Amino acid sequence: MEVKLDKQYPLDVDAARAWALLNDLKAVASCMPGAEITEQLSDTSYKGAVKVKVGPAVAQFGGTVDVVESVETERKMVLRGKGADKGGSSASMDLTAIITPDPANPAHCVLNGQAAVIVNGKFAQFGGRLMVQVSDMLLAQFVENFRQTALSMPSAQGTALASPEASLTAPSDSTSPAAPEKAAPAATRTAAPVVAKEINGVALVWALLKGWIGSLFGKRS
Amino acid sequence: MNAPVQTVEARELALAGMGVSRLRKEDARFIQGKGNYVDDIKMPGMLHMDIVRSPIAHGRIIRINKEAALAMPGVHAVLTADDLKPLKLHWMPTLAGDVAAVLADEKVHFQMQEVAIVIADDRYIAADAVEAVEVEYEELPVVLDPYAALQPDAPVVRDDLAGKTEGAHGKRDHHNHIFTWDAGDKSAADAAFDRAEVTVSQHMYYPRVHPCPLETCGCVASFDPIKGDLTTFITSQAPHVVRTVVSMLSGIPESKVRIVSPDIGGGFGNKVGIYPGYVCAIVASIVLGRPVKWVEDRIENISSTAFARDYHMDGELAATSDGKITGLRVNVVADHGAFDACADPTKFPAGMFHIVSGSYDIPAAHASVKGVYTNKAPGGVAYRCSFRVTEAVYLIERMVDVLAQKLGMDKAEIRAKNFIRKEQFPYTSAFGFEYDSGDYQTALDKVLEAVDYKGLRAEQAAKRADPASPTLMGIGLVTFTEVVGAGPSKICDILGVGMFDSCEIRIHPTGSAIARMGTITQGQGHQTTYAQIIATELGIPSEVIQVEEGDTSTAPYGLGTYGSRSTPVAGAAIALAARKIHAKARKIAAHMLEVNENDLDWEVDRFKVKGDDSKYKTMADVAWQAYHQPPDGLEPGLEAVHYYDPPNFTFPFGIYLCVVDIDRSTGETKIRRFYALDDCGTRINPMIIEGQIHGGLTEGFAVAMGQQMPFDAQGNLLGNTLMDYFLPTFVETPHWETDHTVTPSPHHPLGAKGVAESPHVGSIPTFTSAMVDAFSHLGVTHLDMPHNAFRTWKALREHGAAL
Repeated sequence: MEVKLDKQYPLDVDAARAWALLNDLKAVASCMPGAEITEQLSDTSYKGAVKVKVGPAVAQFGGTVDVVESVETERKMVLRGKGADKGGSSASMDLTAIITPDPANPAHCVLNGQAAVIVNGKFAQFGGRLMVQVSDMLLAQFVENFRQTALSMPSAQGTALASPEASLTAPSDSTSPAAPEKAAPAATRTAAPVVAKEINGVALVWALLKGWIGSLFGKRS
Repeated sequence: MNAPVQTVEARELALAGMGVSRLRKEDARFIQGKGNYVDDIKMPGMLHMDIVRSPIAHGRIIRINKEAALAMPGVHAVLTADDLKPLKLHWMPTLAGDVAAVLADEKVHFQMQEVAIVIADDRYIAADAVEAVEVEYEELPVVLDPYAALQPDAPVVRDDLAGKTEGAHGKRDHHNHIFTWDAGDKSAADAAFDRAEVTVSQHMYYPRVHPCPLETCGCVASFDPIKGDLTTFITSQAPHVVRTVVSMLSGIPESKVRIVSPDIGGGFGNKVGIYPGYVCAIVASIVLGRPVKWVEDRIENISSTAFARDYHMDGELAATSDGKITGLRVNVVADHGAFDACADPTKFPAGMFHIVSGSYDIPAAHASVKGVYTNKAPGGVAYRCSFRVTEAVYLIERMVDVLAQKLGMDKAEIRAKNFIRKEQFPYTSAFGFEYDSGDYQTALDKVLEAVDYKGLRAEQAAKRADPASPTLMGIGLVTFTEVVGAGPSKICDILGVGMFDSCEIRIHPTGSAIARMGTITQGQGHQTTYAQIIATELGIPSEVIQVEEGDTSTAPYGLGTYGSRSTPVAGAAIALAARKIHAKARKIAAHMLEVNENDLDWEVDRFKVKGDDSKYKTMADVAWQAYHQPPDGLEPGLEAVHYYDPPNFTFPFGIYLCVVDIDRSTGETKIRRFYALDDCGTRINPMIIEGQIHGGLTEGFAVAMGQQMPFDAQGNLLGNTLMDYFLPTFVETPHWETDHTVTPSPHHPLGAKGVAESPHVGSIPTFTSAMVDAFSHLGVTHLDMPHNAFRTWKALREHGAAL
């Protein structure tokens, strides 16, 4: 089962900070709900794990992430991830992420992501029809976490310009999946792990249901 | 002789013999939940097996780490191909002359292939331990389409066959090529096409489907390390063949192997083959010295055990301009998956596909079937049909429709014009089959009259004339002939064993009886119908006749139940075993009545002295005498065994008509009417026949309207749960109308032909015929199955018929 994604997310973060964060693979991983880097194997190679929980079912993918390409001048990063779950699924992903500055507003940028995700085994068999929606949800959560984390980083001027109230992707109602915690305003760390540690199953199902009902009335997210 | 005088009719009624709608003996236990299925069997010290399966469709196994699984409490063993290698059991022969991996050896060939097994104290621990077995794969490119598989640079599915240019059925000309099988006369067929006034051709795909019996496959293997005996309870349609294969594979003498098929919850071809799970459970029991149970779940059943069909077919007909068919050509590319594990008689790699000339007198015909390896599960079994007959009937019935359409003829008229006529039987087809008997025209006329065919056509014309009609109306008609009862052992064998079948009957001293058979019922009601045959043949009430099957230690050797062979083959064995007993009984009765054998008449349940109704001996009287004081020179006892090797197949036929109404807005299809007339020769139990027909029609409905096994580009099977795979319930199932004619088989001792598969074989093309008929005025000649609402809705839009 292959899903191709091509998304653009406008962020209220300047391009330099977004690119800096993108280069910190551990921090990037921790923006992904349920994901973490467990071991650095080389300059460009990491071991990682992703845990997805849907209701009582937990899938735990373990695998590797490699930086295939990192082009400073274009603010372009190409990653390849591969992993398998013990329950009989495997997955791989080729991801190209590019940060482009917003010409109208130097404090803003756009995160462009193109990904090809291939899932095999039980996940593909059971989850095939939910793959696109789940991927969209995961990415939305990831981007919101990414934004929060980037905002908490020191800017080029050396101060954090945190404005976590304005959320671009996660709706503010309480039933939204894994509503991110507010970033500590005084953060001086390079990457604050202000992320949900795994995907909340109930919230995921709820969001999927909402998305589906929305789609019945012609609303596209 | 002091018993009250009963009329002949009353005595006949008391027997409940052939022709009586006797209630099923099996139902008493089934409806009370008292059946005894494999999963009901529990043995002291029994362990449980579960299987580690491949998540990918094609890949090399880099390493398998079983340490974590072995460390779990309650886990007894984890076995991989490397553990089976010293026993030479990591590969096993298939019924089609190929080999199949028992556990994946170095590479996996399809998704859900068996990679390792875990044996544990209970099913739950086993399932947990399966997840603890770490398998690392290197993915390989997958090939799923058989046409793509035959390209020069296609991925190699079977590395183990590298350099092997000779297969079980002749030359292999490509690394993914299994066999090419030809039937008929190519030059005669080509000549017919050269001379033809009209020709038509049509490509069609018969999708991969799965028989999906309610009970999945499984076994309990129990090896006794002291005695060296192996007993295995197994979901098998052919327990005796399993015993032979197990003995050959394990080296245990066949006399020390006991295979028992207990109650079987439906087979439909899915339980003919020998699966890796069975072999592994047996090996595990031998290794551990304890009973081992393996029962697969639904996903495993649909994903890895034998599928059916998956035929990509091109048909061509040559005809005169007034609709007389002069030639038939068929080309098939058959997707067999990763191993050639079709269950066919050895010499027929495409089964009885050459019945493809159908009910029609076609002078010249040729068929060619090419088997191809792909990265899909192996199989290719007869799903409620006799070895690829379903595919053949589908093709010819579709082609006749296509020809009718081209010529502007009615589909009933073109069929009548091409039927093999009643007086032509026995009829030898262009493919060499000798059709035993048939009367197609009488049956067709009966159906057309019953449904008011002319009225239906008039209604359809009116609907087509109305642009606002909310529905498209289609009329499907199929006039099929099946070939069943495999088969004559001079041409039919399974692994070298001739396809005879057997029966042993013992009459007890007090006149009751037991019959043991080489077949095994999976819902066909053998315990009911077999007893009826004996009741009629020997005059013993069927109520006191016990029928036992499935235990190789007690039953005579037989090839099992599939391909509608129970009545044509085993039914004949019963009749002939009974007749042996009858002959001996006549001698005993003559002795008792102190007359010559020739002075006796047989009447229902007794031998009477000719001309004197008061002097008679019933079969019960004779039985007592046989054990009490047999005549001089005659051995005591009253029993017989018969092995019946059929002289020919039987050829049941049917005329099916279906009316559909397709909603032009949604593509939803309503089966307004389905009329099925079957002729299965002599009818043994009309009620069971009707039940069989209802079941077969329902499964045919499932295949035509919804069943499919879709694969994505990576080889993930996206339809392996009952959420996706269509099993109709009473909610979806239409109403069935059944009818019959009786044209006995001249070569069968009872004249019976077999019936259980006809409704499946015949109904599927009837649904397609009706669906295409609804679109035919728009120039549509064919629509591939399944005819589900989404696909039909797309067809409506494509052809401008959607509202």
